[in-house]
Parts: sequence; C-alpha cells; structure tokens
Amino acid sequence: MTSGKIDDWALHAYADNEVSGEQRAEIEQLLRADPELAQRVESWRRQRDLLKQAYDGVLAEPTPTSLLATLRHGGGLKARPYLAMAAALALLAIGGLAGWFLSLQTATGTAVAGIAQQALAAHAVYAGEVRHPVEVRADEKPHLQSWLSKRVGTPFKVPDLTAEGYALLGGRLLAANGQPAAQLMYENAASDRITIFLIAQPQAGGTTLHVEQQGALIACYWRDGKLGFAVAGEMAREPMMKLAEAVYEQFES
Amino acid sequence: MDFRTQLAGELAYLRRFARALTGDSALADDLVQDCVERAMNKSHLYDPARPLRAWLYAVLRNLYISSLRGTGRSGVIKTVDDLRNGEGSVAPQQEDRLSVTSVSEALDRLASQHREVIVLIALEEMSYRDAAEILGIPLGTVMSRLSRAREQLRHILEDRGHQVLRRVK
Repeated sequence: MTSGKIDDWALHAYADNEVSGEQRAEIEQLLRADPELAQRVESWRRQRDLLKQAYDGVLAEPTPTSLLATLRHGGGLKARPYLAMAAALALLAIGGLAGWFLSLQTATGTAVAGIAQQALAAHAVYAGEVRHPVEVRADEKPHLQSWLSKRVGTPFKVPDLTAEGYALLGGRLLAANGQPAAQLMYENAASDRITIFLIAQPQAGGTTLHVEQQGALIACYWRDGKLGFAVAGEMAREPMMKLAEAVYEQFES
Repeated sequence: MDFRTQLAGELAYLRRFARALTGDSALADDLVQDCVERAMNKSHLYDPARPLRAWLYAVLRNLYISSLRGTGRSGVIKTVDDLRNGEGSVAPQQEDRLSVTSVSEALDRLASQHREVIVLIALEEMSYRDAAEILGIPLGTVMSRLSRAREQLRHILEDRGHQVLRRVK
C-alpha cells in the first residue's frame, strides 16, 4: 500500500472483514479519498447481496424427509429414498424418539405444527402489549409456575434465560383450540420479546426440533413427554435455534 | 452437544451451499444426502477445534468434484420430496426476479474454480483460511481466484443489466 495506490488483495480482504484495526482504518481512509475504489468495494457488496437474495430462501425450506432419516440412522443406510422412507416410518412406529433433530415432514408433523401456529398467533397478540404483556408478573414466579402447571395439566419449571440475555416478564393462561395453554414472556436489554408456549399433548412422546417462519416471526417447536413446546420471536433462524436449544435443555433437566 | 445434533443445525446451510455450488436443486439435495451420510460415517475424522460447517462444506465439495468426474455417483434421481416441496424456494418479489435470475445465471457462466470461491466467501461468509482448507489450495490462490471471480461476475452482471433495461423499454 504505497502512495495512495492500494493493493487489490488488501481491498478484497477489507471487504470480507479479513483485516482489522489500524489497517482497516487506513483502508477506510483511502476509500473516502478515492470514489472509484469505494465503488469497487460497493460492487462486491452488491454481488454478495444478490447471492444472498438468490439463495437464502433455501435456509427456510423444509428439510427433505430422506435427509432426516439419514441423520437419525447414523449414516448406515445408503441414500436411497425408498429405504430412507421405510426407515423413517419404522422409527415412527417405534415412537418415543428422543432427540434434537430437524422436523420430519410426516402426518404426525401436522399435529406438532399446530403448536407453532398457536404459539405464533399468541406471540403476535401479546408480545406487543406495552402495559399488560402478562397476567402474572415475574416477581410472583413461584405462583406463576404452580398456577400454569396446574392449568396446563403437567408440572413444568419456568426456564431461566438470563444466560441468553432474556429476563422473565411473566406469563399468562391462553385458550388454544379450547384447551388451556401457557405463555411465558421474556425480554432482553433491547426490549425484544420472546415467548415460550406450552400445551399438553394427547399422547406422550418426543419429537425433533421444527422451525416455522411467518413473516418476520419465527417459532421453534417440539414435543417432549406430555408437553408441546414452542419458542416464538422476531429474529433470524440461527439465533432462534440457539435460544430454543437453551430452552429445550432447561425443560429437559 | 453431540455430533448428530450439531450436524442437524448445519443442514440448512449445507443445502444452501450445495444449491449455489451446483445451481441444480435435485443434484444439490443428492449431494447433501451423501454428505450427511459420509459425515456420520467419518465423524472421527472431524477435528472439533475447527468449524464443523467448513468441514462439511469440504466433504460436500469433494463429493461434487467426484460426481463431476463421473467416478462417484451414477445420476440424479428425483425423490418424492422434490415433488412435494417443489423445486423453488420462496417466490421472490416480482421486482427482484430479474436480478435474482441473473445472478444464478451469472454463476453458471463462471469457471467452477471461480464459482466455488465466490460462493464460499461472499454467500457463505467463510474466512479465507477456511475457504483455503475447504478447497485444498493455498491462501494466495484463494485470493487471486476471488479477485478474478468478482471481476468476472461484475462484467456478466453489468452485461445482463443492460439487456434487462433494453427489454423493459
């Protein structure tokens, strides 16, 4: 980098966040002084944006059943769709699958998917409430926990998400298709709210992690034992997966 | 977190990478399938000190290379999932459609060594170091290929831009 002429690679490295500190500041200064250089970096950003627009949709697609079957099966099966399908059905027949995998798109999936719909709907209604977001506030946590456990029909422990940056606001009782359900609400320092939705399940059993997106809202949901769970909020898929995992672990323990 | 759990969390990214690398959703799905299988069978080869995603991308990319050489797989088979899920993903906004189509087409016109490097770095946001490991080439080669790939992509996109404008008129 001499006499205002910048090394082409340094410019790429800058655009890809491969340089930091002093060198970064130096390049930024050069870019301010040289609109042509700045335009080149800008054109690379546009390329990246176009690529993301073209391919990020894949991230929201449901995972193919055969892929999930392979994942469950430990890679022992050859990737032949009919075998994978048979394996998935056999596993379903055995039932009671513990695990933490992505959704199986099967008939049982639809019952679980209902959890996501209900959780997202309840989140949309209550998370925006300024004055009355919850019925029972966090300072009455023991009462909240025993009351909602009783109404939902299965005892559960209200998760502590402080490690994830979320503080409990409280919770409320919901009516979901004529059935009592619980909603727990949390808030982070930026006032972003997430909700956890719990509802009793007709049959005990475990499922894998499913993801459902509705506009800006996203829910991760699963069944475990006698309860169905969902975590809903407005965020990207990856942080939501992380959060759901933390919630899952707390309910499991 | 066990290996399988971690692997489950990477599936969506593997699928995106495969789609952009190949430009063919059926082939991409097959590759991801084979990749997951291989990853589970060879999980002892994975070094947990390194990012799992980069390792998986390397596995998938190697499978792709051998499929191109015709040594690995016999062909692309459509599965029930393809039909059920449809080929595309989210329907893009009408306005975006021209540019989205053009970037996929533009990728198709890049040489494979340019395509893979720009997909890894621009779309998948891999570090240069991870990209070098995935591709099995020196860091300097990653950078020179990247530079060339961006230059070519810019030319192709600009050409298309003019065509689109003419068509609109």
